[in-house]
Amino acid sequence: MAPDAVLSHLHRADGSATYTHNGYCIIGAVNGPIEVLRRDERPEEATIEVNVRPAVGVGSPKERHIETLLHNTLRSIISTPSIPRTLVQITLQVHSLPDEDSSTGVSPSLTLLPHLLHTALLALLSASIPLSTTLTAVLIALPSTNTPTACTQLLSPTAIELLRAKPIRSAHVFAFSGEGKMLLNESDGTFSYEEWDEAAEAAEEVCCKEDGAVVLAENMEVDGREGENLDGWLRSVVRTKVEHEQRWKSAR
Amino acid sequence: MAATTAAAAPQDSAHAPALTFPRPIFAAVAPHPFLQAHLAASQPSKTPLRANSRTAHDFRRVGINTGSLTHCNGSAVVRLGNTSAVCGVRAEILHEAHVQGTADFAPSTGNEAEEDPEREREEIESLRLLVPNVELSTGSTPQHIPGNAPSSFAQTLITRVQSLLLSTSLVRLSDLRILYTPPSNLDDPDVEPVPQLKGYWVLYIDIFYISIDGNAFDAAWVAILAALKNSVIPHAFWDEDLETILCSDVPSEAHPLTLRGLPIPSTFAVFEGKRDWNETGEEEEADWVLSDPDAFEESVCRESVCVVVDCTGGNKGTKDGILKRLEKSGGGVVERDAMKGLVKRAVDRWAEVEKATNAKS
Repeated sequence: MAPDAVLSHLHRADGSATYTHNGYCIIGAVNGPIEVLRRDERPEEATIEVNVRPAVGVGSPKERHIETLLHNTLRSIISTPSIPRTLVQITLQVHSLPDEDSSTGVSPSLTLLPHLLHTALLALLSASIPLSTTLTAVLIALPSTNTPTACTQLLSPTAIELLRAKPIRSAHVFAFSGEGKMLLNESDGTFSYEEWDEAAEAAEEVCCKEDGAVVLAENMEVDGREGENLDGWLRSVVRTKVEHEQRWKSAR
Repeated sequence: MAATTAAAAPQDSAHAPALTFPRPIFAAVAPHPFLQAHLAASQPSKTPLRANSRTAHDFRRVGINTGSLTHCNGSAVVRLGNTSAVCGVRAEILHEAHVQGTADFAPSTGNEAEEDPEREREEIESLRLLVPNVELSTGSTPQHIPGNAPSSFAQTLITRVQSLLLSTSLVRLSDLRILYTPPSNLDDPDVEPVPQLKGYWVLYIDIFYISIDGNAFDAAWVAILAALKNSVIPHAFWDEDLETILCSDVPSEAHPLTLRGLPIPSTFAVFEGKRDWNETGEEEEADWVLSDPDAFEESVCRESVCVVVDCTGGNKGTKDGILKRLEKSGGGVVERDAMKGLVKRAVDRWAEVEKATNAKS
């Protein structure tokens, strides 16, 4: 199931996006390039500020950690030297979480992270911030079984699937750039290098394999659900956006 | 003085414009080229050295001192080069009646609950029995401005420490529970009395940085490990007459914490060299993965990788489930193949740190 995305729906922000996938709904807004505080100004590149607001309550150290991760990752995809001495401010508000999110046995920041990354990217696209590449992210969970094989991997599972597969032995979040470079990895649990490597390979296929039709079809059989290339999904979102913006041209 | 420099100037200009800096000024003005010059410029016979005269694979030596704080249940001071952290563990009693949600965990009769780390983690997490905190002392690092709210750096550290404490199930729940077994029933002496849960020990784990010279997380974690290993919890029991929990002051009745495994983190920083420097187009190694970065290297490197391994079982192969955590963010240099090498470096580091932690205990 592909994620849903609505772009540029907040009119006061320079760019915005609402992203819904598997019960996670996040609203993202981007302001930029705007004036930067003197203290944070960098002479040769833009400053990036990420704010994450949880669904309930005010931010805690957990949100600060996620913000740090997002900041590090987005810094490598935003073309910061092209807008020096400015600020790009990204605000992500978690709108709703699935009811089962807290009881999956996987750290809630891991299940949320891919969705936050996608929302941030969509909001940046909507704000037309210069980017050097794009980004796609996926969560992979390995349930504890006696025979760890490739087909037991859960690719971007829903909260209910995680709950059913409990106990989860390890959970991995991968983010890949448009060129297929691994930008971010957060893995938690107990696992071997080979399991991690297999998970990384599977994540790469879901995120950015161009000609992954055969592989995806295989996954479809294994998981019994529709495989979706996230890179393709991102392209279709951008295509819709560009078509929408070009509608003055096609109008008669 | 002015006359001599004026006299010297024409001579110098005859050769080339004299544009040399002393070392510290080069490092301050252009940190990135400075480190690249260190790593790249070297005779082929020698391995390139970093600015701190370590090779790319060298970690700093760990120095551990335990039991230096007298008012703690356990403490440790860890030095990693110029990074030094103090960790103190203090145990306090949490009465079962004072918290909600213990009913879910109340049937603590069997041994099966003790052996399920998944359930233990849930209980420790929901009751918050492990409370880590990080404090940066004034002057520990130039980035830290005293008197402000905890910076996002400190908050990130706390979150990472806490989630690693939980996900590795380092502390056993059986050490934290305070149980009470009622005397056997007089009417029916055959029935085994069921132990009742009366309270918990809550461990407050405070980390205080005296100075930070890079790699704060590794120092914090090793300090926590050493402090927890060093911790002694007094014997607590339920007093039926007073209806409260009492602690015995007999030292021989106190028990040390028995930790589950020994997860050790290794942090790496990825230095991305500027490739367009040499115009010859030669394929040259332009990225370096530096073990245990210091503050200067952390300021220059964007990508960082943290590998947590636990080889307590003696297995060190790629098929063994020794990895406890992998964190990588900030760039795309370290790929799947490179990670294999990093895991190996982390395993080697594990043996080194394990020796250091055991030497003091």
